[in-house]
Amino acid sequence: MAVVAAAAGWLLRLRAAGAEGHWRRLPGAGLARGFLHPAATVEDAAQRRQVAHFTFQPDPEPREYALETQSPLPRNFEMGQTQKMNLFQSVTSALDNSLAKDPTAVIFGEDVAFGGVFRCTVGLRDKYGKDRVFNTPLCEQGIVGFGIGIAVTGATAIAEIQFADYIFPAFDQIVNEAAKYRYRSGDLFNCGSLTIRSPWGCVGHGALYHSQSPEAFFAHCPGIKVVIPRSPFQAKGLLLSCIEDKNPCIFFEPKILYRAAAEEVPIEPYNIPLSQAEVIQEGSDVTLVAWGTQVHVIREVASMAKEKLGVSCEVIDLRTIIPWDVDTICKSVIKTGRLLISHEAPLTGGFASEISSTVQEECFLNLEAPISRVCGYDTPFPHIFEPFYIPDKWKCYDALRKMINY
Amino acid sequence: MDSPSLRELQQPLLEGTECETPAQKPGRHELGSPLREIAFAESLRGLQFLSPPLPSVSAGLGEPRPPDVEHPPRQQQQFSSLDDKPQFPGASAEFIDKLEFIQPNVISGIPIYRVMDRQGQIINPSEDPHLPKEKVLKLYKSMTLLNTMDRILYESQRQGRISFYMTNYGEEGTHVGSAAALDNTDLVFGQYREAGVLMYRDYPLELFMAQCYGNISDLGKGRQMPVHYGCKERHFVTISSPLATQIPQAVGAAYAAKRANANRVVICYFGEGAASEGDAHAGFNFAATLECPIIFFCRNNGYAISTPTSEQYRGDGIAARGPGYGIMSIRVDGNDVFAVYNATKEARRRAVAENQPFLIEAMTYRIGHHSTSDDSSAYRSVDEVNYWDKQDHPISRLRHYLLSQGWWDEEQEKAWRKQSRRKVMEAFEQAERKPKPNPNLLFSDVYQEMPAQLRKQQESLARHLQTYGEHYPLDHFDK
Repeated sequence: MAVVAAAAGWLLRLRAAGAEGHWRRLPGAGLARGFLHPAATVEDAAQRRQVAHFTFQPDPEPREYALETQSPLPRNFEMGQTQKMNLFQSVTSALDNSLAKDPTAVIFGEDVAFGGVFRCTVGLRDKYGKDRVFNTPLCEQGIVGFGIGIAVTGATAIAEIQFADYIFPAFDQIVNEAAKYRYRSGDLFNCGSLTIRSPWGCVGHGALYHSQSPEAFFAHCPGIKVVIPRSPFQAKGLLLSCIEDKNPCIFFEPKILYRAAAEEVPIEPYNIPLSQAEVIQEGSDVTLVAWGTQVHVIREVASMAKEKLGVSCEVIDLRTIIPWDVDTICKSVIKTGRLLISHEAPLTGGFASEISSTVQEECFLNLEAPISRVCGYDTPFPHIFEPFYIPDKWKCYDALRKMINY
Repeated sequence: MDSPSLRELQQPLLEGTECETPAQKPGRHELGSPLREIAFAESLRGLQFLSPPLPSVSAGLGEPRPPDVEHPPRQQQQFSSLDDKPQFPGASAEFIDKLEFIQPNVISGIPIYRVMDRQGQIINPSEDPHLPKEKVLKLYKSMTLLNTMDRILYESQRQGRISFYMTNYGEEGTHVGSAAALDNTDLVFGQYREAGVLMYRDYPLELFMAQCYGNISDLGKGRQMPVHYGCKERHFVTISSPLATQIPQAVGAAYAAKRANANRVVICYFGEGAASEGDAHAGFNFAATLECPIIFFCRNNGYAISTPTSEQYRGDGIAARGPGYGIMSIRVDGNDVFAVYNATKEARRRAVAENQPFLIEAMTYRIGHHSTSDDSSAYRSVDEVNYWDKQDHPISRLRHYLLSQGWWDEEQEKAWRKQSRRKVMEAFEQAERKPKPNPNLLFSDVYQEMPAQLRKQQESLARHLQTYGEHYPLDHFDK
């Protein structure tokens, strides 16, 4: 069965420095739209809950990327059979592929057995058994420590932390243990087969403890990889790469996209390379960099800039926070001379500061304007004030306009 | 908020009601998907109306799964209103109508299992493990060789030859007694005072020294402070400084061993101080709920640096915590090698056969200072230390046993002391002469592959050394 499937649908591998290979969507795949629609009547607008601050944009089909690669990939290869999946379904699909391929792989965390609070693990326990998909007690430091121990024996450990906001009890295990296991043992031991998955980012009403984007805390920790997808197709490929990567990885899943983002995703496994940013739209005047949900915001900002200002934006999805793809960002800034980075996480010490600092070191003489960071404020993530807190398209647009007029 | 009355529960929910149902708790639930009122009312109809309605797991989750046969949904169980037994899912217990707090028993705690008295005589012959002579001699020689190595390396730190050291004085029995009861392939997670386990597994003196000196022979590539040993070949996971972090890790490793049908146990060592860490609680709970073949081995040596046990806990030590987690537990005399051996042997047999954790609390005493950075006379009396050194030492007690068996005598003792000292000194001198590893090893193994940015940093250091190399101790390092 698996052999037939492998023959019929290709194992898709996207490799090579700085660019993706070609893929082709099945005909008839529609573009998904955000599921929330604007308020029908103006008088109710004040009372209704805020609509989403972004519109999910799946990558248009078919994509043609400039192929700057030494890899021997053919230009047009099939994705094989695809299925319309939203983000949580694409995660389920990746986990399904993993457990099918790797008999040592196990999934564990709070509430994963019945399918997970975000339904990412629905059906997996029935399919693979209760020894492979199981609940743990409510203890994040235990979940990660336990996962490290599984990985030390060489088995594949896929741990779920229910919300990124609750990852902090596990910070010691992640930073002091997982990240340093290989280095401190002189490569006698490692926990490379550990992947931690966690819902991440704003969701409209999550407030302080269901909205956080803690990637900056982990960016400061050599030895782990931190990865954030913008879409179901990206999520599956990146998650599979994380699981197969020989280093401990944290995979943050933008929870607001779990249902809002849907597109055609291959049923068979495929990999999207880590530590490679993706230029999802080429441009000449400004470089816009973001990750996760915010990629859709800056994409819209790029359209606005084109329409209102005649400005051509290069839009980059960073995808891997560490180790990050310095070359792609710098190459773009050398071309455009202007850089805007945007993330939901608070401004001070946010990952935009690392990008900004490196880019000004590498591309100082190419810069036409100071690097702009459009981020959350230096406050905890508020509840009722979320629409004011988030770095929405108007703030990004305004910052872009100032950069152009600098 | 008040629980709804029975009558209220029996009414179908009003259509279009916006308020939260009583059964839906705020907090860590799926967001963005309110319970559909109709689905909730449907689940309500199926219930006997004694218990509050449960949140509908079918709302918004697609097709209902077939029921899980191990855990049938609560609403399908029939509760008779005449049955007065407790029905709580959280505890299996009877009712009581007398108000009584359970008194923790610390005056007469869990008894301490021992086989030998303090003079090394077997107390109850049926408990004598009757270990063969070679094995008992191996126990003895491992402990004494460790003791000799400790003395020399402690001194070497005082002389500035190595940066740091931790001795194992007084606790050698806990190491070798437990190590001898395991298979050689059983995975060991330690804290930092278990060098005797490695010694028993024949870790060469050269490698102990190499790690302490951080020289080119160090398998750890010079990255960690002394005594942070690790050995893949001998299934001893590399030590890390943060306390108790190894505990949940050991549990994960045990789970993986169970899944692999490896017939192996994992043993996890830690001190009574580390047992206060959250990671210890996490590890115990996970091991019990996930049914892992693991031995938790606590060395209760009376002190965590300067903190005595009276400031570390108020309960009956660590052994008494085990039953709280549902873990089989025992307390043993850690200075009695045979008691440690027997307990570990039995724990191993059952842990593997029954896939459940065991907790062994080995009572002992830390005769040495916490480390070379500590002077314990600041917080305890010399008399107290001397008592343990002279009156209740694992090495002395085993020696008495050996003598009474006729397997050892004063001459062999003298010869062995001389020989072990010579072996240690040889290894020591060789370790001292070797260079340190190449500074490039500063940069490798952060990831399996070196990231581009790190390679740039490595190149930057190489360039820096070309100009400023004279200010760095390059002569001591491998080229």
